[in-house]
Amino acid sequence: MWIADKYIDHVKEETVEHPGESWDQMLLGFKLNKLRMKLLPKKEISKGYQKLETMMMSLVADSLGRPDSYVWGNIFAPCEIIGCFGLSTLSIECLSCYFSGYHLEDYFIDYAQNTGIAPTLCSYHKTFVGAIDSGAVPVPEYAVTTSLSCDGNLNTFRYLEKRKGVPFTFLDVPYRDDEASVDYLAQQLKDFTGELERRFGKKFDEEKLHSAIRIENETRRALMEFFRLQSQRYYPGELISHLYMMMGMHLLIGTQEFLDLIRFMIEDIRKYPKFEGKKILWIHLLPFYQETLQSYFNTNQKYQIIASDIIMDSMEEMDDTKPFHALAKKIIRNLYNGSYSHKAEMVGKLAETLHPDAVIQFCHWGCKQSSGGSILLKEKMQEMDIPMLILDGDGIDRRNSHDGQIKTRLEAFLEMLEQGEQEESEEEEQKKIC
Amino acid sequence: MLGYICKYAPVEIFESMGVQMERIEPDVTNFNQAEIRMHPNICSFAKGVLEELMSGDYEGVILTTCCDSIRRLYDVLTEEFPDKFIYMLDTPRITKDAGITLYEQRIRAMIREYEQFSGKIFDEETFGKYLKSREEEQQYALKNSALNIGIIGARANESIKKILDENQANVAFDLTCTGLGRKLLYDDQAVMTGYVRGLLSQFPCMRMEQAANRDELIRRFAGSVDGIIYHTVQFCDNYAYEYAWLKDWLERPMLLLETDYTRQSGGQVRTRIEAFLESLGSGKQRPERKMKGDKTMYVLGIDSGSTSTNAVIMDQDRKIRAFSVVRTGAKSGVSADKALQDVLEKAGLKREDISWIVSTGYGRISIAFADENVTEISCHGKGAHYFNPRIRTILDIGGQDSKAIRLSEDGEVKDFVMNDKCAAGTGRFLEMIARTLEVSLDELGAIALTSTEKIEITSMCSVFAESEVISLIANNKEKADIADGVCHAIANKASGLLRRVGMEPDFMMTGGVAKNPGVVRAVEEKIGGKLYICQEPEIVGAAGAAVYALEKYGL
Repeated sequence: MWIADKYIDHVKEETVEHPGESWDQMLLGFKLNKLRMKLLPKKEISKGYQKLETMMMSLVADSLGRPDSYVWGNIFAPCEIIGCFGLSTLSIECLSCYFSGYHLEDYFIDYAQNTGIAPTLCSYHKTFVGAIDSGAVPVPEYAVTTSLSCDGNLNTFRYLEKRKGVPFTFLDVPYRDDEASVDYLAQQLKDFTGELERRFGKKFDEEKLHSAIRIENETRRALMEFFRLQSQRYYPGELISHLYMMMGMHLLIGTQEFLDLIRFMIEDIRKYPKFEGKKILWIHLLPFYQETLQSYFNTNQKYQIIASDIIMDSMEEMDDTKPFHALAKKIIRNLYNGSYSHKAEMVGKLAETLHPDAVIQFCHWGCKQSSGGSILLKEKMQEMDIPMLILDGDGIDRRNSHDGQIKTRLEAFLEMLEQGEQEESEEEEQKKIC
Repeated sequence: MLGYICKYAPVEIFESMGVQMERIEPDVTNFNQAEIRMHPNICSFAKGVLEELMSGDYEGVILTTCCDSIRRLYDVLTEEFPDKFIYMLDTPRITKDAGITLYEQRIRAMIREYEQFSGKIFDEETFGKYLKSREEEQQYALKNSALNIGIIGARANESIKKILDENQANVAFDLTCTGLGRKLLYDDQAVMTGYVRGLLSQFPCMRMEQAANRDELIRRFAGSVDGIIYHTVQFCDNYAYEYAWLKDWLERPMLLLETDYTRQSGGQVRTRIEAFLESLGSGKQRPERKMKGDKTMYVLGIDSGSTSTNAVIMDQDRKIRAFSVVRTGAKSGVSADKALQDVLEKAGLKREDISWIVSTGYGRISIAFADENVTEISCHGKGAHYFNPRIRTILDIGGQDSKAIRLSEDGEVKDFVMNDKCAAGTGRFLEMIARTLEVSLDELGAIALTSTEKIEITSMCSVFAESEVISLIANNKEKADIADGVCHAIANKASGLLRRVGMEPDFMMTGGVAKNPGVVRAVEEKIGGKLYICQEPEIVGAAGAAVYALEKYGL
């Protein structure tokens, strides 16, 4: 996501001065960055994570370069259906992250707040609203959002429809997990498919969707295998690598390209040494820019993030013979839907499989559904005897993350983990002596 | 008794079973329980409901999947009260047939669970009769003799209506969550389906897909009132989108009012509402004129702020005869008496010589000797216009709040915004930082001007900013540079406020912070224009109050 600093500053300045006139330069930057990643990948991170980064940069740069080739979505939008039409899905959350590559998040957030958008709203949504409303970023022909996982979705898309005339399909995801809910959502997905047929003048080929779901099943199995290996081997990556993985799992899932990458990673990771540090299961977003967290989790042999719930947010095998129902079920059973006990249960399952030493939840500013349940999850983890740390901050707006606070909390927690290990080994010693 | 919070809750079903239904309206002073069980950044209404349920006598509560905070409230409540009927009713966002069918199924499932829980039986026929017997509730009430105000946005508690009532304004309609009278549909062919259809076809809230037709309904409702209060609740973000949209096309004076559902911010809420009503022109009667022996009439304006209490005596020719600035102590009434004595002495007058006294500022209601009180927003407008009629936009940074006010050519308030309930960007914030830097408040501004290195204070929150400053001190940064960084942080906040009212020149800055050259320079840089600052920026509000008093006499 990083482009030469001077270019970044230049584009930022231009955008702030004349929003709308700097778009070509922004786009050029993305394209150059894609090229740089291919030619000069970050040596310090593993091959798999290098390839992942390049793949995501290509998705964004290539799609934005052809405005008729993509639709806006939110992170839970059904990219499998959209993919059947040869279109890509660019989620507004991820786009906000890419805009912050130009350090524009503060300008866009202030822009949105100054028009009256609530300061307590999620910063991803504020960045996006500011980027579009200020005219800095052009708009596509169509958009789609689910009501999962937050209130911001419907409101942001509706606001932009009114302001910028981008029509969208709204998928209402019921809270309850039962057959009636699945039927209700499956019908909406079918209607959405019909809408895409009309809008883009292409016939829907159901076989493509069957195939996407078969690939999706394989990808999910492969990813679980990769996570298992990542809890055993040191596989250098960065905070942002996990965001890229989340992006892939939501925007490219069901494509052969992404499955091949995960398979490559499974092979590649086996070449790396055994991991002997602390294994962290991460909950919710990662503030990729945050210095202290970077210093502890970017290519660090002592602490490794082995998996995250935002990457693996649904775990069930999907029935490819009933694709719309399968997709509906997947969305409804997503761990971000329904009650927090549902989420705690699924995180518990991940923990049982991967045996992390600790869980860290990052409460992102403005995300009520995540923050509101953090204390309940901590109780659940306590029952499982897994220490858990709750950090507060902002996934994108540096101004809402206080480094001193994060540093103190994190370091105290890591000290506590080390302490616990020491005591355990002392107890072992004691037992041996006795 | 069962509690409920949302208009989509099928209240009548339970009532037909003989259950008392109570709409939960939290009236709490703190979030002590909620802070332990939930994260602080949750909508304050949800936190309030939790407090209410912890203290009230409810057998349960019917929640709907209306928003993220309520979803999490449900999780906490089921943990906390395993023996109560805590029910989450999954309410569709789509109001077409598919939504109606699903909702009916959900409601029937809920009835079965409640029957099991309570042993009571639901009877569809009794329910039908009950529905038929209900009279339609009034949704709309205009009054000819009063200012008519409409309330839109997120749920508004009774205190807003009370303040409106005390100021003789009429609430013509309340379109917030449970504000409208219930609209019930009775269909004798299919009682339940008809009822559910009716529930889902109420005035749509922002979570519903069809909220787009809110625009048309709001346009119709708003057409007949004098002004709109657009209410939002802290950490409920859904309605701010609509405010941002409406303010561009709804041709009605509109006040954005954020509350947090506690009693803590009552004073600020009152100031905003009263200032809004004043800007809509609520007329008052003309008092009797007192003349001193020399045939001169005197009036007095007194501004009781959180940091200083300021008084101004003006004569009938609008000349300031004397003014006084005293520190506000622990009791605002005592400081007001002191300011009164001091200014009378300076002017060589007695209390009886003053025809009319107008009080303003946070402490305005506690000043017993005042004849009338007017909000500091209207008074700053008048005061600014008095000192310089070219002023269109005022930035007032006081001890505990900051505000931006837009004026018309005649000095009338056209729009205003205030900072939220926090110290960021206020005089109090500067005081905190000055203390941390071990300099006096006066020095802080002066040393900022000598800064050589640019330091950015990024934290929005003043508590965070203070620890950021401490980190900077620990990193051995120069005081002057830190001070300058702090001035710029205030300027950023201020420019946000100014932008929200429209940035029309000329600009004026008032309040104690206007004496701080560091902040003044930083604001000027940020807005790219000059700030007019009068010799005594602290007395602008009091001078405005005095002008108000003169206007009582048509002067």
